[in-house]
Amino acid sequence: MCLLLGMGVGSVSISPGDMIAIVRSQLGGAALPERIPAITASILWSLRMPRAIMAFLVGASLAASGAAMQSVLRNPLASSYTLGVSSGASLAAAAVILSGFTLPFFQGYTLALAGFAGGLATVFLAMGLAGRFDRNLENTTVILIGMVLSLFVNAILTLLTAFSGEHLQQLIFWQMGSFAGLGWTNCGLVAAIALLGTLALTRFGRELDLMTFGEEQALSAGVELRRVKLAVIALCALLTGSAVAFAGVIGFIDLIAPHVVRRLFGSNHRLVIPMSALFGGSFMVVADLVSRTIVSPAEMPVGAVTALVGAPFFAWVYFRRRRGERRA
Amino acid sequence: MLELRHVCAGYGDGDVLKDVSCAIPGGGSWCVLGPNGCGKTTLLRVMAGLIPHRGEVLLDGVEIGGMKRRELASRIAVMSQINAVYFPYTVYDTVLLGRYQHMRGRLFGGPSAADREAVERCLESTGLADLKNRMIDELSGGQRQRVFLAQTLAQDPEIILLDEPTNHLDVRHQVELIDYLHIWCAQGGHTVIGVLHDVNLALRLSGSALFMREGRIERQGDFARIADGAFLQALYGMDLAGFMRDSLEAWKDL
Repeated sequence: MCLLLGMGVGSVSISPGDMIAIVRSQLGGAALPERIPAITASILWSLRMPRAIMAFLVGASLAASGAAMQSVLRNPLASSYTLGVSSGASLAAAAVILSGFTLPFFQGYTLALAGFAGGLATVFLAMGLAGRFDRNLENTTVILIGMVLSLFVNAILTLLTAFSGEHLQQLIFWQMGSFAGLGWTNCGLVAAIALLGTLALTRFGRELDLMTFGEEQALSAGVELRRVKLAVIALCALLTGSAVAFAGVIGFIDLIAPHVVRRLFGSNHRLVIPMSALFGGSFMVVADLVSRTIVSPAEMPVGAVTALVGAPFFAWVYFRRRRGERRA
Repeated sequence: MLELRHVCAGYGDGDVLKDVSCAIPGGGSWCVLGPNGCGKTTLLRVMAGLIPHRGEVLLDGVEIGGMKRRELASRIAVMSQINAVYFPYTVYDTVLLGRYQHMRGRLFGGPSAADREAVERCLESTGLADLKNRMIDELSGGQRQRVFLAQTLAQDPEIILLDEPTNHLDVRHQVELIDYLHIWCAQGGHTVIGVLHDVNLALRLSGSALFMREGRIERQGDFARIADGAFLQALYGMDLAGFMRDSLEAWKDL
C-alpha cells in the first residue's frame, strides 16, 4: 500500500492502474496504452519505483537490526548506531568526499562502499576492543566502548568538517540521508542483504527472547551466548551498514519501528523482527514521500521527516495502547 | 553428583573462590551459608558454568567446561532474582522459553506437543494456569517470581541453583517458593542448591549446609551437627545463635 503511494504521488501523479500497465510494458514487453505519456512511464520506472523500493529496503534493514540490537544489548534505546555504524560510515564517506578519491572500476559506488566499510570496521573495532577488556562481552562493556568509539570517531569527523570548506554542504547532505538519485542497480544488493539479514535474525528469535531476560539467564537456559551475540551484531552491522552506505544516516526508524511492533504484536522476536522490517520499510516510504513532496520542488532531508512524523506517531501508539491495557 | 576439585575463580583481578573442593551428591537440597562477600554467588556461578574457572567442576564425572550450553542447560538450571523486564511477554511465552534447549532444531517451527504439555504442567503446578495470557509486566513481584520458577521447571533440569530468588518477596511468597522447591526436590532425585541471605529461610529449604568464608568452604554437612555458637560467631562476626534465640522470644507468647 505504502509502496504504491510512494510510487504514485509526486509532481506527476500516476494512478495504480497506469502503474500496472507501465510495469507490464517494462517487464513483459506489452505495448504502453496510449493515454500514458512515455515521460510518465519513465518517471515511474526509472525514478519513483527504484526510489520507493530502496526506501522500503533501507527502512526494513534499519528496523530489523534495531529490533535485534535492543534485545541483544537489553536496552530499549539501543540500535546498531549505538555501536558506531553511523559515525564510522560518515567518517569514511567524509574522507572520500574530501580527498576526491574514487575507486577505479566502481566510481559511482565509491561513496557507498566507503560508508559500508567504515561502518562495519567501526563495529568490529568496537567488538574487538570490548572482547579484549571483557572476555564475556558484557552489555555494559559493549555499549560503553561503542559510545566512546562513536564519540571519538565523531570528533575526527567534526575536525574534518571544520576544515572541509567547499565540500561542507555535500558532506552534511550525505549525513542527513536521502533517497534521491538511487537507481535499480543499487536495489539488488541492498535487497539481498535486507532479505537474508532479516531472515537470519528471525532465526535467532528465540535466543533474542531469552537474552532480554539477561545474559546469565540466557546462558543457563542453553544459549551459546557469545556466538549468538557476535552473529547477531555482525548481521545488524551488515544490515545497517548497507542501508547507511546508500541512503546516509537516517535515524529514528531503527528505534521506533520495533517499539510500535511490540505494542501491536507482543515481544516475541520471531514475529517482531519480520514485522519491524515491514513496518520500518513502509514507514520509510511514507517518510520519503513526505520529504520530496511537502516543500516540492525542493526536498527535505528524509532523516528530519522520520523524526518529525515519527515522534508524535510513536507517542500516540505508545500511550493509546497503555490506556487500552489499563481498561482491559 | 556435582563435584568441585581445587576450583579457583573470580572476576578480573583476584580470585573470589580460593581452592574450593566439595562434593554434592545427587538428590536432596543444600543451602550455602556465609557472610557477604564470602563467595556464595560465585560458587553458584561456577557450578552453572556461567563464569570461567580453574580446577575441575565435574557433573557425574564430566567436566562442565567442555559441555555444550544446551547439554548443560538440560541438567542444570539457575533461578535468580530478575530485576527488570524490558519487553513484555505473556506468562505462557515466558514459561515456554524455558523449553529452549528442548526446542532446538525446529528453528522456524513452533513448540512440539510435548513442549506445550510441559509448559501447561508447570503453569498448573505453580498455580499460574489462570494467568497464562497475562503480560508479565502487569504481574505483582510474587506472581512474576512464580513465572520464573515455572520457566526454570519447564527447563526440566536435574539440578536447580537458586541465587537469592526471594529478594523483594514478602514472607508468604518466600516461604511458598522455598516449600515448592522442597517438594520438587523430593520428587525424582532432583537437587536444589540455594544461596539465601535469610538463614532461617535457607534452613527451611535444607538442613544440609555448606559454610563459606573468604572464598573457602569451611564446613559441609548436617547443620545441627556442624554448626555451634562459637563457629557461627566466628563466621558471621556476631552472636548469630544468640540473636536467633532473642528473636524467638518475641514470638513465643503471641
